[in-house]
Amino acid sequence: MSGLTHLGTIQAADNILDLAWDATGERLAITPSTGKIPVIDFGGNLLETHPGHGLGNAGPAWFCGRLATAGFDGKIRFGDGREIRPGRGLIERLKTSPDGNSLAAGQGKTLHVFNKDGTSNRSLPALDAPVADFAWNPANASEIALVGAGGARMWRPGEAKPFARFDWGGASLRVAWSPCGRWLVTADQTASVHLYDFSRDYPLHIQGFETKVQAMAFSADGTRLATGGGPVITVWPTTGETGPEGVTPIQLDGHDSDMIAAAFSPVTGQLASGDDTGTLLLFTFQNEKKILRKRTRLPAGISALAWHPTRAVLAVGQSDGAATLLSLEEG
Amino acid sequence: MDRTPVTILTGFLGAGKTTLLNRILTGEHGLRIAVIENEFGEIGIDHDLVINADEELFEMNNGCVCCTVRGDLIRILGNLVKRKDKFDQILIETTGLADPGPVVQTFFVDDQLKEKLFVNAVVTLVDAKHVLAHIDDGDEAREQIAFADVVLLNKCDLVAPGDLDALEARIRAINALAKIHRTTNAGIGIDKILDVGGFDLDHAMEVDPHFLEPGQHHHHDASITSVGIEHDGDCDGKKLNDWLGELVRVRGADIFRMKGVFAVKDSPDRVIFQGVHMLIDAANGGPWGQRPRCNSLVFIGRNLDRAALNKGFRKCLV
Repeated sequence: MSGLTHLGTIQAADNILDLAWDATGERLAITPSTGKIPVIDFGGNLLETHPGHGLGNAGPAWFCGRLATAGFDGKIRFGDGREIRPGRGLIERLKTSPDGNSLAAGQGKTLHVFNKDGTSNRSLPALDAPVADFAWNPANASEIALVGAGGARMWRPGEAKPFARFDWGGASLRVAWSPCGRWLVTADQTASVHLYDFSRDYPLHIQGFETKVQAMAFSADGTRLATGGGPVITVWPTTGETGPEGVTPIQLDGHDSDMIAAAFSPVTGQLASGDDTGTLLLFTFQNEKKILRKRTRLPAGISALAWHPTRAVLAVGQSDGAATLLSLEEG
Repeated sequence: MDRTPVTILTGFLGAGKTTLLNRILTGEHGLRIAVIENEFGEIGIDHDLVINADEELFEMNNGCVCCTVRGDLIRILGNLVKRKDKFDQILIETTGLADPGPVVQTFFVDDQLKEKLFVNAVVTLVDAKHVLAHIDDGDEAREQIAFADVVLLNKCDLVAPGDLDALEARIRAINALAKIHRTTNAGIGIDKILDVGGFDLDHAMEVDPHFLEPGQHHHHDASITSVGIEHDGDCDGKKLNDWLGELVRVRGADIFRMKGVFAVKDSPDRVIFQGVHMLIDAANGGPWGQRPRCNSLVFIGRNLDRAALNKGFRKCLV
């Protein structure tokens, strides 16, 4: 792997569903689709192992310094020995609020919101539709966006009604909020994304993707949004008065098949993307016209990517259960 | 790539779905079966192979009922198919009042699921003692029967044999294609549930419109019925295509299932098709060989106009 230093690989039991660094970058949770969830250190050494959640694990979250896990068995384990089943249905992911004070979990038509003391008095029960995904507002830790059938609803947990809503006829798979809180983007069940500009109270519907958009990521400085529907990565500007509206996006190729994961480094600003045949691309944006591409082929399809929070190190999860740490640091 | 069969289990609350699921999950069949349960029943919560999930309906194209699919299934199944340890079967238990249409349509319209999974059958459990009341009270029971490849007429021990015959005729009038099994305590060979091939185009060639002829059944339901059409000779491929396209565009919401075999002019092979609402699948069914070139098709739907369907098809003949 030219220019990339292999720091270590750990083998999990199944396709890697999610990779999650803790805030300091000292620990990485490697979550396979099923089976035990290992946590490794920066050097690739196994630190601990968490039990799996039956037929499917959820995307976990670091909360109160510990790894909270959940899954298709409907249970949440907080990492301190506490295990609860707050409702009957499966749980697909957990997410910690930007201030670290709340942990959210979607379960059917309920969004559970747990406080640090273990209470959940700000949960949102009896929603209009099951929660497909949700995202905390990075710029305001008291706001969360929920998506599913019918569009997006923006809530302040604990309140009786959403403070904003973004309706459309279809449904969404994933949602992300830009770092500055201006943009909300959803990857839809159809081959499109919806983008909502809070600064203008203005919706955009971007179509024309080859497939469903399975990967999307905002850059850490909030100036770019990468979306992958099919083998081409489309990078949209998210600055200026109108953001991507009326702008020709940057189209990046090099993938051999559908792009599955994308992530911008918070340290270097580089974009990493992976496809389901194992091609890993690294893009360095020198300016809007000069973009350097590094291409690497891994042995199995890439299913998850996570940049280290403070170093130029990328964790790559693969469909064969391998999780590899690659360093871009010189020397 | 081998695709995993998915069986959809429908039926009103109390029809015996949980009993059947328990039999399947505990049976010594050697199959690894995952169950997605929308009906939060007595089993499931601690069962290793059961996933509980709320239904999430949405429209792929704004406002089109025929393109309504199930988001929860797309996400759950999308995750299950990524597992290394594959299942032999996946079973989806719907709620008692669920419309099977969106469940089936999910597997027609989602490309990723189509690649890895296929629908084996819609299996509808019917409570023999109470189903007539359900059929007469609302659309749900009739639609569940109309969509079925297999109907389990369950709790037969609670109904007199003569009444069962009448009930079976009533079900047959709604859905002429379904296999009907009489059961008690949902007792049935697992192969009759899990190895049906109801959406397999090869099975579309087994259509026998004869048993739809007038006089065969005397208990026609007022709204949901089956219409069978059979004609010797060849049809014009373009006219057939145009007619079917127009038919499902205009009447697709009312057509639950359709299956057929066509003899198309200048083609030595049979053309087989099947569909759900507006979604149609067609394929080459192989050579006619020594068999007479004969077109057979069956529609199951609401307020079907038998005369208009016959007339429409006859216009496609050369």
